[in-house]
Amino acid sequence: MKVFRSHLLICGGTGCQSSGSHAVKTALLEEVDKRGLAEEIKIVETGCNGFCALGPIMVVYPEGVIYVSLKPEDIPQLVEEHLIKGRVLKRLLYREPVTDQIIPTMQDIPFFALQELRVLRNRGLIDPEKIDEYIARDGYAGMAKALTEITPEQIVQEILNSGLRGRGGAGFPTGLKWKFAAQSKGDVKYVLCNADEGDPGAFMDRSVLEADPHSVLEGMVIAAKAIGSHHGYIYCRAEYPLAIHRLNVAIAQAKDAGLLGKDILGTGFDFDLEIYQGAGAFVCGEETALMTSIEGKRGMPRPRPPFPAVAGLWQKPSILNNVETLANVGQIILRGAKWYASVGTEKSKGTKVFALTGDVANVGLVEVPMGTKLGTIVYDIGGGIPKGKKFKAAQLGGPSGGCIPMQHLNAPVDYEKVVELGAIMGSGGLIVMNEDKCAVDMARFFMDFCQDESCGKCTPCREGTKRMLDVLTNITLAKGKEGDIELLEEMAGVIKNAALCGLGQTAPNPVLSTIRYFRKEYEEHIREHRCRAAVCSAMFKSPCQHTCPIEMDIPSYIALVRAGRFEDAYKILLQTNPFPSVCGRVCDHKCQSKCRRGNLDEPIAIKFLKRFITDSVGRPKIELVPITRKEKIAVVGAGPAGLTTARDLALRGYKVTVFEELPQPGGMLYWGIPSYRLPRKILEKEINNIRALGVEIRLNTRVGREITFAKLEKDFHYIYLASGAHKSQKMNVPGEDLKNVFGGVEFLRDFNANEDKWLKGKSKLGKKVAVIGGGNSAIDAARIAVRLGADVTILYRRLRQDMPAAQEEIKAAEEEGIKIEYLIAPLKIEGTKEKVCSITCQRMVLGDFDSSGRKKPAAVAGSEFTSKVDSVIAAIGQIPDMSFIDKKTDIKINKWDCFDVGNDYKSRTPNPRYFAGGDAVTGPDTVIAAIAAGHQAADDIDSAIRKANGEPAYEKQAAEKIDVPLVIDEETIEAPQMAMPEISGSKRKMSFAEVELGFKKADAIKEASRCLRCDAEL
Amino acid sequence: MEKKVPLTIDGKNVEATAGQTILDCANENGIFIPTLCNHPALSPIGACRMCLVEIKGQRNLQTSCTFPVTDGMEIQTDSKAVIDARKLVLDMIFSERNHFCPYCEMSGNCELQDLGYRYRVDHWVFPTYTKAFPLDATHKYYLMEHNRCVLCERCIRACDELVANHTLGLRQRGSESMVHADGNIPLGESTCISCGTCTQVCPTGALFYKRSAFMGKDSVTKQVKSTCNQCSIGCGTEVVTRGGNVLCIMGDWDAPVNKGLLCKMGRFEPLYDTRPRLTKPLLRGKGKSEEISWEKAIQTLAKQINTIKAPEIGVLAGSYSSNEALYLIKKLFNQKLQVSNIGLINTVAPRIFNKVQSKLEDITKSDIILVVGSDPLNDQPVASFIIKRAVDKGARLIVVDDKKNGLAPFAFMNIEMADISTAIDVARRAENPFILYGADITKAAIAELKKLEDKVNYIIVESGVNTVAAAALGLNNGYDPAALKLVYVLLGEQNCAGDDLFKRIPQNAFIVAQASYLSELTEKADLVLPAAIWSEQSSSLTNIEGRIQSINKAVEPLGEAKPDWEALQLLSIQLGKDITVSIDEVSTEVIKSLK
Repeated sequence: MKVFRSHLLICGGTGCQSSGSHAVKTALLEEVDKRGLAEEIKIVETGCNGFCALGPIMVVYPEGVIYVSLKPEDIPQLVEEHLIKGRVLKRLLYREPVTDQIIPTMQDIPFFALQELRVLRNRGLIDPEKIDEYIARDGYAGMAKALTEITPEQIVQEILNSGLRGRGGAGFPTGLKWKFAAQSKGDVKYVLCNADEGDPGAFMDRSVLEADPHSVLEGMVIAAKAIGSHHGYIYCRAEYPLAIHRLNVAIAQAKDAGLLGKDILGTGFDFDLEIYQGAGAFVCGEETALMTSIEGKRGMPRPRPPFPAVAGLWQKPSILNNVETLANVGQIILRGAKWYASVGTEKSKGTKVFALTGDVANVGLVEVPMGTKLGTIVYDIGGGIPKGKKFKAAQLGGPSGGCIPMQHLNAPVDYEKVVELGAIMGSGGLIVMNEDKCAVDMARFFMDFCQDESCGKCTPCREGTKRMLDVLTNITLAKGKEGDIELLEEMAGVIKNAALCGLGQTAPNPVLSTIRYFRKEYEEHIREHRCRAAVCSAMFKSPCQHTCPIEMDIPSYIALVRAGRFEDAYKILLQTNPFPSVCGRVCDHKCQSKCRRGNLDEPIAIKFLKRFITDSVGRPKIELVPITRKEKIAVVGAGPAGLTTARDLALRGYKVTVFEELPQPGGMLYWGIPSYRLPRKILEKEINNIRALGVEIRLNTRVGREITFAKLEKDFHYIYLASGAHKSQKMNVPGEDLKNVFGGVEFLRDFNANEDKWLKGKSKLGKKVAVIGGGNSAIDAARIAVRLGADVTILYRRLRQDMPAAQEEIKAAEEEGIKIEYLIAPLKIEGTKEKVCSITCQRMVLGDFDSSGRKKPAAVAGSEFTSKVDSVIAAIGQIPDMSFIDKKTDIKINKWDCFDVGNDYKSRTPNPRYFAGGDAVTGPDTVIAAIAAGHQAADDIDSAIRKANGEPAYEKQAAEKIDVPLVIDEETIEAPQMAMPEISGSKRKMSFAEVELGFKKADAIKEASRCLRCDAEL
Repeated sequence: MEKKVPLTIDGKNVEATAGQTILDCANENGIFIPTLCNHPALSPIGACRMCLVEIKGQRNLQTSCTFPVTDGMEIQTDSKAVIDARKLVLDMIFSERNHFCPYCEMSGNCELQDLGYRYRVDHWVFPTYTKAFPLDATHKYYLMEHNRCVLCERCIRACDELVANHTLGLRQRGSESMVHADGNIPLGESTCISCGTCTQVCPTGALFYKRSAFMGKDSVTKQVKSTCNQCSIGCGTEVVTRGGNVLCIMGDWDAPVNKGLLCKMGRFEPLYDTRPRLTKPLLRGKGKSEEISWEKAIQTLAKQINTIKAPEIGVLAGSYSSNEALYLIKKLFNQKLQVSNIGLINTVAPRIFNKVQSKLEDITKSDIILVVGSDPLNDQPVASFIIKRAVDKGARLIVVDDKKNGLAPFAFMNIEMADISTAIDVARRAENPFILYGADITKAAIAELKKLEDKVNYIIVESGVNTVAAAALGLNNGYDPAALKLVYVLLGEQNCAGDDLFKRIPQNAFIVAQASYLSELTEKADLVLPAAIWSEQSSSLTNIEGRIQSINKAVEPLGEAKPDWEALQLLSIQLGKDITVSIDEVSTEVIKSLK
């Protein structure tokens, strides 16, 4: 045998071929030839390697170095470096998406490391077109054993004992199927292989056929021996030309080698098989339809009984097994049932191959033991969700299956558990969906698929899927009606029970499972015409606008920026938002997360453009609004929620008085957000604009102390409670009450109230500061501490990707020299009454997933360590402080220390004169959410008043008509988001000056020009 | 004895034959289960889901039309789940296409409508389609109205399984599915052979007759069971009449020969016959004929007969003549009047084998079918359906014929009569050869066929409708026109064979024509007796299997036409040789002579 010093295994699966592996292979052959290495280096084209996302892929043995995303032009350098100079070419290696770490060898990449390869044991290792290579890896040894050493009954028993279940989806015990067929009388029996893989996003079978076709043939011969069959068919869809080609090659080679056909291995046993190419109808994957199709008829299912084991193909006893099932058989016979059953769960043995696709970093084929946690597959093997998006659900089992949502990431994936959760194992298509996928649209998509693929034979499937699709389509088109969800459930129930074959019986599953887990989204679609994922475009003008809690007309103001009409843009901002210059700086810009441009390169810098508008032109003049209504309104709390309500009601002619305990209005905008992010004068201007409408703000007035509730009730008709969440959550660790241990918001409030004291050193944090937490407050506190000259470390108990703080804030903090340490939680704080000395922490390790889809940290025993610190700021969350509420008011406070609302109106408390909103209702949330709550409350209060008075509902005055130009570029050139100019990290930590400097005019117009105008109706 | 198993349906203990379907068992026990796609003549496919039942231990509802009973099975036919499913199925079907009953010709005769009443479908649950489906009106005899189609596939199965013509199929899939002919060409241009079986199985108004559309539902029409007299197969029919008019002809599902099937000749052609009818006896005077009364006609005829001697009288009988007429001919002319010069217009096929003929249904049990000197596809189409069905099941067909034969495309061997030995070689190796032969068989071929005597099953395919009876009565024993002065031609509905017939009648003979239609013969005849046609008389026919089957009168004869046997009776009375017997007696006599 010829020996080579290196083997280059280049993937020749369909995935890699379509990303260009043939060209790479050609380049490689040429290069190796050119350098005279042909005698030393062997190039092997293998079947699918599984890591399809990064194809073309090549593994270099003996080192096991894996190169990804190869291009022909990379080859000369690769050969030069790796094969001649012996240096690994770093730029073509795999990079871990989250940590950006380079991992050179295949077995160290988590994608591969966590898999257990049985069905795919030869993938990427052998040339599928060479039978010798298969035989060298124990190929056909199982078959030899089955034909020469054991009886057909023993084969069936072995398969029964192994616990192997049909990998096509339903999970019927394979051994049992064989047993029935073996018991059927008759000389003519058939062994059929179902390679009609048709689920959207599933490609397990194709990969097995392409990478290891002999394993399927071997399984079929063993099955044939077990049931006494001499003829078989592989029903493979014609869309799999490579699989068919490799199967043909394999069949020819096996026949030549005496491993197929007449007198196999000289045992006298005959088994021949042929490939039947299916035309691609989904229903032909159903066993009876498949058989009808082989018979040359229109592929439609037939009722069972008779079962195929009794009367299958041409009414003869037949067994039909899926590709993956058959690929397991040879190994089971060779290594024994016990070996096979050694992995898996109680009722689901062995491994399962999943085609991992959708919104997951490592798209590809994975084989894991049955019972592997869904979260492990998605996050550890799959590498998590790209672009920092959140996991929403995994669709398992294709159009016959269902989705498994975030709260079940810990579920062990096996037949039983998956069914319990409302999905099915199916053939193993696992489509990961992120938060940008709409549950209703997803159900609609699969129902559309099913109704399209329904053969039309039975009424429930033919017409039922169509009717369900109609209802679903209507919901996504904002034409849903009350009762639609119930109608869907009712129809689903009957269709499941009444349809002829598996296609119809399972077609309602995606609908039922999305209703089960995302009923709220259905209701939002029907009642509010809201699609939280911004997918159902009939409901909105543009995704950004729809995602904005106050539905700002983003496309319009961006178009106006592009046109240079900044005054008009400002007017648009003010139509919905009383605080545009605040939001231009501190909004969490959910709108950008749904920006369609983000799918192309990066989303539009909507927030920055908003700021640019308010920075670049003067604010339109505000005039006092005459009081036309007799009802007086009190607002408690001068934060964004309270002030928005005050403004809205003032605009509607009410007299509004705002009561604020603290000496400055603005709530968290003033007391929680540092001035380097939101300069005080900017905030002041916006609040003054509200005052200018006639709203009175009484500062330093705590309701319940400076003014009693009784007085309030006497002087005002309605009271809006927007008192915010200004109390830090306790860490519940010893030493928390020591001096220099601050709560996050308390520290921020104290700093903002006494900035002078802090700056002059009268209040001190000390040299070393530890900030606990991963939210925006923690970052704000840390960045202030840095500006006060401290050496700041943030301690966070999870990983960076789990931090709730805005990514850009985390980045900014790091630039300012703040250290962040992950997987650390405080145990106790030591010190004297006067001084903190140290903090003792322990290291954490991430375990199961919690209901937020993040891994739960758990303490590592014995990992405690102590660090010296002078101050500790605990910013692990805020809660409302409800101590001011007079119990006599009958306002209910729930277990989260928030107001209970939703009585007749969204924002009304049980006491009809009191309304509430903002953080005091939701717990700590964003500015924009508070503004939205404010709008809602104003609407509710006004509506309640008008209803009580018997007046017609308020009619919003038509806003000034602003003509918005529509310019759509013929060509879209990829370009990243315009970067925000800012003061450098080292400079900015010296002062509290605003860090972000704002766009220049030209940059703003350029950025605005990136907008794809998905609002345009063409 | 078939094994019986106990089971319960709706809590009732019943016994069923092992292997029979739940539906059949329920029907036998008087338990109603609704069906739509199911049809007793067709194999069940479980498509419509109306017959769903709940079976203890089964995960889903199951179709009773396909599910076999097993020992101890517990079945619920009207549980809530079952009723819910049926109702949803009905609601869906009703709203799937345009099932607006008042506009439909089948209203009142529609199985879907019946189910709608039964399950109180009084409104549309789902919005109905506004989409109009096409109407195919290209076929001469029937319409294919896709708007009324429920995709039960009965028509397709009938075309496949019963007629073996495979014209109909489904195209597209899911809710876009449509019945189509030959890959979607207009039905009128397709390979459809107009047998109309599809129309007869259609449960709704998707396939219906053009001629009788909107002319009355079952409750206002009269249905008379009868026998088709268009060929020698003798298919059972149901003649539908209203107000003395025949609206349409349906196949009789209970008929043993055709089991519901008919062909174009039997189902449609008699209704589209445009030949002018004879309604009064005619007497030819000097150059022109004159309408006379029956009385005068019979008197004239009796006088003519009495004036000449028996050897000068000749009788020619046509194959449309009933058993009764043929019997009376024999009795009156041969036995009473001693006339021996009696012949048949049609030829009679020779008897070859000294064994009893088989039945047509036995064809399906054969592995080789030999068709020799006959063309069932064109002449006895229902027989050809049975042959094609057998071919579909794997039997091999050999056609031996010197003429163009309709079955040729279905044969695996087409052989000329001279080369028949090749076919015999093949047939000899078969286990169950079956031979159908007709009058066109040559002497040499007969000799060859005889070699198969020991293992063969056969049927003689007579080309004449009632030739079997005529031959059995010995009416083809010799006819010599040489000395004839009077020839009595019993033509009936048959077309006048023209010159061939006139060659057999001497120039100056007195011609009596007993016929239904105006023809060359009646133009020339001296006395014309108008004969009633198939729908206007009660009588009987003998088919090629030797079955005697009755024709029942459905409407009154046109004008003064009389059944053929009645005219002969009148004549016998006039001649003083009264041979009046009842039809039953005649049948008994005919049966006797057939044995």
